[in-house]
Amino acid sequence: METTTIPKASAVFKTLFKADMATLLSNRRSAVISLLVPLIILVTWKAIVKYKGGPFVLATSIAIGLIAIGLMGYTLSVARDRDKGIFQRLRVAPVPTWAIMTSRICIQLIMIMVLTLAVFIVGYQYDRIELSLQGYLLTFCVAILGGAVYLSLGQLIVGLIKNFETINATTRITYFLFIMVGMVGDLSSFSPRIKQIIRYSPYGSVKMMLAASMEPAQWNNDTTLAVLVCVGYIIVFAGIGIQKFRWNAK
Amino acid sequence: MAVEQDKYILKVESLGVTYGNVVAVQDVGFNVLQGEIFGLLGPNGAGKTSTLSAIEGLIKFKTGIIMVDGQDAQTKPLFAKASMGVQLQSTSFQPELNVVQILQLFSGIYGVPKSKNEIKEILKEIKLEDAANKKFGQLSGGQQQRVSLVIATIHNPKLVLLDEPTTGLDPQSRRQLWERIEAIKDKGHAVLLTTHSMEEAEAVCDRIAIIDHGRVIAIDTPQALIDKHRDNPEVIAVSRRGKITLEDVFIGLTGTAVRD
Repeated sequence: METTTIPKASAVFKTLFKADMATLLSNRRSAVISLLVPLIILVTWKAIVKYKGGPFVLATSIAIGLIAIGLMGYTLSVARDRDKGIFQRLRVAPVPTWAIMTSRICIQLIMIMVLTLAVFIVGYQYDRIELSLQGYLLTFCVAILGGAVYLSLGQLIVGLIKNFETINATTRITYFLFIMVGMVGDLSSFSPRIKQIIRYSPYGSVKMMLAASMEPAQWNNDTTLAVLVCVGYIIVFAGIGIQKFRWNAK
Repeated sequence: MAVEQDKYILKVESLGVTYGNVVAVQDVGFNVLQGEIFGLLGPNGAGKTSTLSAIEGLIKFKTGIIMVDGQDAQTKPLFAKASMGVQLQSTSFQPELNVVQILQLFSGIYGVPKSKNEIKEILKEIKLEDAANKKFGQLSGGQQQRVSLVIATIHNPKLVLLDEPTTGLDPQSRRQLWERIEAIKDKGHAVLLTTHSMEEAEAVCDRIAIIDHGRVIAIDTPQALIDKHRDNPEVIAVSRRGKITLEDVFIGLTGTAVRD
């Protein structure tokens, strides 16, 4: 019998990534749906561009899309695979656990990039929103940071809740809440305290960051604070989510 | 292939597993030799799955040592996992992937990547060439078990762990699976399987351990266990046909109470 050799972590990661990509492509309908909501916002808010500006509409669309990817994409796929015992099957193989999760996060990062590009293209084609090259590049990077906020929020949910159905309900309610905050929060006249809470909520701070990155000249102390708040959310959500995460739903 | 009968592929010593305050496994010890099929038998909740999960590296154990191919599984988990092939009780793969993609995934993560053509050859060997593009969930129970077994042995591991491999199979599929398990043994692999079927234990296992309330209460060849407990009054009391069977020994030793 041959000597046992431990497969290289890079080769294992590559294989996992390929399988996760195949899974994403098989599920392209749900991926397209998660891209649709931000694009619908972009199209239906065309009239608002005049009043609130292009960056506001683009930032709202991207933020809502990031929430869909982080909560519906990542969280539900992790919850389902845990519930079905798919992780357990992978864990009995010589697979470092970081590779399982990193591969999935990479898939979601690709989705974030696709979303950002789709919003840029539709925004330019339909709403005539044009940014500087610097604005496009900075927004692209900031979208990844914003996506990380919602991915870590998703990790927090799967870390704290084991039952798939409860996770499903929680993510949908959270998604709905964020959409409501996005739709109503900026357009309604709330008290300054509520506005402040919305401003530095996971939704508000990501949106603020995105809007500022589209017009780098507008970047100010509030934007820097929003970046720091986002980093704080990532550290706290991911920290608790990873610590509390169990690979087995039972 | 010459089989080294004295070489332990798996050595479990003083294993203890607890879940909070509940002791699931205590002081369990056994060895599995190269070229041997070793059965782990026990009523529901006896500690079989906890023992197996500890060997598989799915749970952390409180006490004891697990050595896989001479290496400590706790300090070298990736080596231990690379040395073993596992078929879990309820095998689940990504439902979006077809059989070829699943085999490509697992051959890749075990470090023996296979091309589509190589995988189709493997599927041909297990008479599943038509299932290449099917999703795992579309296969029958017997076909699923054949695919799972191929995945468990795709990297030619020294130790194969099978958790109730024939549960839910019809007699034909079960017999076919027994032949495949014996073929694995003939290639020199060590096999550790758990089962509720005494018929299976007698048919394929070289040695068995009966585990109850988290402890190993008997360990030997099926025939030796029957011979050893033939005159045990508790075994005789549960015997149904006059002739003592392995099931009589099992029930005699573990009791007649139904476990949840």
